[in-house]
Amino acid sequence: MQGFFLGLSSGAVCAAYCAPVLIPYLLGEGRSVLQNFSALLQFLMGRLLGYLSFAVFAWGIHTSLPQDIVHRNLLIGAAYVILSGLLIFYSFFKAGRACPSAGDQGIDHRLRESRSSLFLLSMGLATGLNLCPPFLLAVATAAEQASLLQSVLFFLTFFLGTSVFLIPAPFLGLLRGFSPLPVIGKMAAGLIGAYYLFIGATMLAGGFYR
Amino acid sequence: MTKEHPSQGKTVGVRQSPGKSFLLALPMMLLTLMMMSGGKIPADPQRLFVFAVTYLFFNLLFFLMIHTGKTDRYRATAFITYALLFIVSFISHMFEARGSMSLSEEKIILCEVPFCHLVIPMTLIPAALTKTIIFPGMITGGFASIASMFTIWIGASLSLGRGWCSWGCFFGGLDDAFSRILKKPLLRKIDPRWTYLPWAVLLAVVLTAAAFLSPTYCTWLCPFKTVTEFQAVTSFKILVQTIIFVSLFIALVIVLPLLTKRRTQCSLFCPFGAMQGLTNRINVFDVRIDPHICTNCKRCVKACPTLSVTEESVRAGRPLMSCMKCGTCVDVCPSGAAAFHVRGTPVEGNRNIKRLLFLYAAFLFLAIFSGGTIQDGLSRIIRLITTGSMI
Repeated sequence: MQGFFLGLSSGAVCAAYCAPVLIPYLLGEGRSVLQNFSALLQFLMGRLLGYLSFAVFAWGIHTSLPQDIVHRNLLIGAAYVILSGLLIFYSFFKAGRACPSAGDQGIDHRLRESRSSLFLLSMGLATGLNLCPPFLLAVATAAEQASLLQSVLFFLTFFLGTSVFLIPAPFLGLLRGFSPLPVIGKMAAGLIGAYYLFIGATMLAGGFYR
Repeated sequence: MTKEHPSQGKTVGVRQSPGKSFLLALPMMLLTLMMMSGGKIPADPQRLFVFAVTYLFFNLLFFLMIHTGKTDRYRATAFITYALLFIVSFISHMFEARGSMSLSEEKIILCEVPFCHLVIPMTLIPAALTKTIIFPGMITGGFASIASMFTIWIGASLSLGRGWCSWGCFFGGLDDAFSRILKKPLLRKIDPRWTYLPWAVLLAVVLTAAAFLSPTYCTWLCPFKTVTEFQAVTSFKILVQTIIFVSLFIALVIVLPLLTKRRTQCSLFCPFGAMQGLTNRINVFDVRIDPHICTNCKRCVKACPTLSVTEESVRAGRPLMSCMKCGTCVDVCPSGAAAFHVRGTPVEGNRNIKRLLFLYAAFLFLAIFSGGTIQDGLSRIIRLITTGSMI
């Protein structure tokens, strides 16, 4: 339960870190609330994957990574660059949207849908690897766990605690009647992508970013 | 009141006789005298001269607005003067206080950065989440405090809505000025989707500000840092930021307004303006286009400097939410279909009374809000002429 409560207590910060990636995507797609919930689940699956891989890592290295500023910057920088790539790609190329004339059952549609899921999973994974302050706390606590299973369970419960704060996001689907929103979402994704690219690149380059 | 026939290619004016115009301008003369002097006429000759010039400047413009029935040209004169003298006044203050326009780390740590209204959208979510204002400014006291700017913003939003962007913003006069230099636009076609960009910028800066607890628009994008204050270039990151905001200033405040004759910074980029559009919904004044009188000449569509009047919006009888109530469409409308309007009243009613009600509110706000800055700017210029230094 410790992980769950840690997630609950710091979830607002986690949501603030995930929102710049998730909200422009949900707005850009202009889908219904139900479809947005499905998108959120895919995003969360990617995030969980990121968390669990970190759980294994944190247990294995016993917190040495978060304390090593060079490696930490490299990891966060890489996560930002990946996120920026995904956001810029999303902004300029209409990802995951079936052609209106293609119908809903065709192979093309299923291919596009699977690409959209992969896209969401990748965005979730990259945000999962993004070392936001609550996540660093969780890494430090997980590293103190006696076994790998305990570490994984800690991160799983931490993930559940933080995910509660993302539940309102799919309700953006209620605004889909406002036709400019998809354009606004895509433009915002591009801008945030450019911002992340600079942060990520300077972190990777090392020393420049203060 | 005189009316000119639309078929003659002229616009319907709401001209008043000089005597009636004087009487209608009298309340403004008294109110501006009271508010600009603070109940005390300056004794120092130079300050008295500056006060008198400012007072006469505003009241002459208001008189002409009523007498000629035209709004935009006189509003723009005051608004542009305000923007230019704000820069003179602000830069002089910065040189007095710091010795340069650049902002040191020390001033940021001491929270001595002047707060401006453009930061407001970014502060709201972090304030709700963390109970802190993510800007290194002073809550009260000092020069341009956070509390005073919030109070002014709330007052302006209630009284003017997005009219703030044409009657109150101390930056808006800059792209307004550049958009008036050429007689005809060299770049006519602007994809209407660009009008969504301010919303995207708003979304991006609000989300990133909440994530990083930093005013990202001020740090990275605000073009007006070029003519006010900026961080001293001490790192690669600040160098990149400087290149970005100077480029945006050149592009959005100078080049594009010149080429398009539109206020591109205000209508295609400013996130505060986008948010301010929402306050148009709760504001008592708006602009309406009477479909029964409209001849569909599209002059308002062509003339609107903020791209807020489209063919669809003309059909709908009102400009878009982004309308800044500058009065351009009202001035160019040959049939008098476009007019200032008070919510809750019929569109067909006496347009002159509604216009006057709006002008009293908007012009008084502009005169009071900018009066002190204009006086300070003029004093600095006089000091420059007489002593060779503005500080």
